[in-house]
Amino acid sequence: TMLPLLLLLLLPAAHGTVEHVDYTPSLAKSPMLEGLTTASTFVLEQPRCVFDKYGNADIWLVVALEKTATTFNNSVGPGTPERAFQKFPDSAPAYMTLNATLANYPCPKPAGDITVLRVGSETSCTEDVNRPTCNGPLSGPGPYRVKFLALEGSEPVAETDWSNPIMLRTAKSPNSISTTNGGHGAGMIALTTILSILFAILLAGLVAMLVFWGSDSCGGSSTFSKPEAVTVRRYNTHHVYDQPAARL
Amino acid sequence: MAKSDDCMRILQGLLVFGNVVIGMCGIALTAECIYFVSDPHGVYPLLEATENNDIYAAAWIGIFVGFALFALAILGIIGIIKSDRTLLMVYIILMLITFAFEMASCITAATHRDFLTPNLFLKQMLERYQKTEPINSNDKWMTEGVTKTWDKIMVQNHCCGVLGPSDWQEYTSAFRLTHNDADFPWPRKCCVIDAQGLPINLDGCKLGVPGYYNSDGCYDAISGPVNTYAWGVAWFGFAILCWTFCVLLGTMFYWSGIEY
Repeated sequence: TMLPLLLLLLLPAAHGTVEHVDYTPSLAKSPMLEGLTTASTFVLEQPRCVFDKYGNADIWLVVALEKTATTFNNSVGPGTPERAFQKFPDSAPAYMTLNATLANYPCPKPAGDITVLRVGSETSCTEDVNRPTCNGPLSGPGPYRVKFLALEGSEPVAETDWSNPIMLRTAKSPNSISTTNGGHGAGMIALTTILSILFAILLAGLVAMLVFWGSDSCGGSSTFSKPEAVTVRRYNTHHVYDQPAARL
Repeated sequence: MAKSDDCMRILQGLLVFGNVVIGMCGIALTAECIYFVSDPHGVYPLLEATENNDIYAAAWIGIFVGFALFALAILGIIGIIKSDRTLLMVYIILMLITFAFEMASCITAATHRDFLTPNLFLKQMLERYQKTEPINSNDKWMTEGVTKTWDKIMVQNHCCGVLGPSDWQEYTSAFRLTHNDADFPWPRKCCVIDAQGLPINLDGCKLGVPGYYNSDGCYDAISGPVNTYAWGVAWFGFAILCWTFCVLLGTMFYWSGIEY
């Protein structure tokens, strides 16, 4: 019973088997990149030590929307209108880009090297229909799924798993930023209050001074006399108000 | 009585000392406010673009109040030594006017400081940095001021955006209208720049590799000087006013004790 099952599995792959490589493409993990996902680009790990058996193959990156990834047909080649970047996602359900060979992905990865693939970095060919394999910036936030596909000639020979859905950033409008501050700080309130009280006291003092201009201070026991009238002191016993009369 | 005479002498001495301190503080206030108005950190265009530069108005008032305090302190010293009631009355009234102005300056500086939040600078940066279509000449002036100031701040302080480079990703901006996201996730000035003024590694900067771009936000670099200006004017002014209050109360008491 094993043999008929094997035959059943082999029959649909009329053009040869596409080996499934156990590797899931993922966003770059190290180092921490600020621009890991932006509004129109994202950064993947390079598939190092994955396609070692396929020295003659071209390794392509397939980018599809999450909802069209399941219906992806490996046989449709890169460079065709159905796989052109410029037609994605309207008339092309996926596009293929970042063509490389095993020489671009040497194994093992040298320590300290940053090995990443930036999807969306080519801005010069976004409108150029003569460049259907353009690695252009993506126009929507996704979510997208990617996989690597190895082709020998025009025959697919190996593929990886689809990645987890990749969501890009969406930018908000600056009008959504609220600039109303959360009220006044405690320092400012304390400063205002104390200064107001001090100023009020001083004004009250000034008013009191103006009211008593021309007369001695009320209940003044400490009158300050000018240096010339030294003799007055001797008569300064009880009847302060008799002073002018006494001097005469 | 000898005792009251001595009391008055002591009060006279204290008031002269108090006025000397006021005079010196007045000069210090003038110097401090001139320093702030000269804006050594270059943040004035950002405040100007918020259309609310009260901190600078407070600093200008501080310059003139400082001079006034110095002049009035001299008048006060003369009035106290001569024990002239009229002179001291003039001194007290003018001092109260100066007190009111300085009070206004302190409160303005403290209130305006609370107004300058990170969100305010963020919104201003997003709306004005590298804006290409100004509405009128005033708008053009403010836009150029904001752009030049931000470029200078980002390069000198090795920072990017208000809270970080993600400011440019989280929000759309005037910059984003003319610079596409794939080539310019953030402005070039956020990249680490070499001696010629070019990024040392443009791809590293675009990817956001640590070491090739400025990952810190610039809010500290802006709010530091602004805080210094605001608190310098507000709290030093407050301290001077508290001392002046005591001296004025003493002068009023002294005035009331002078025999007419």
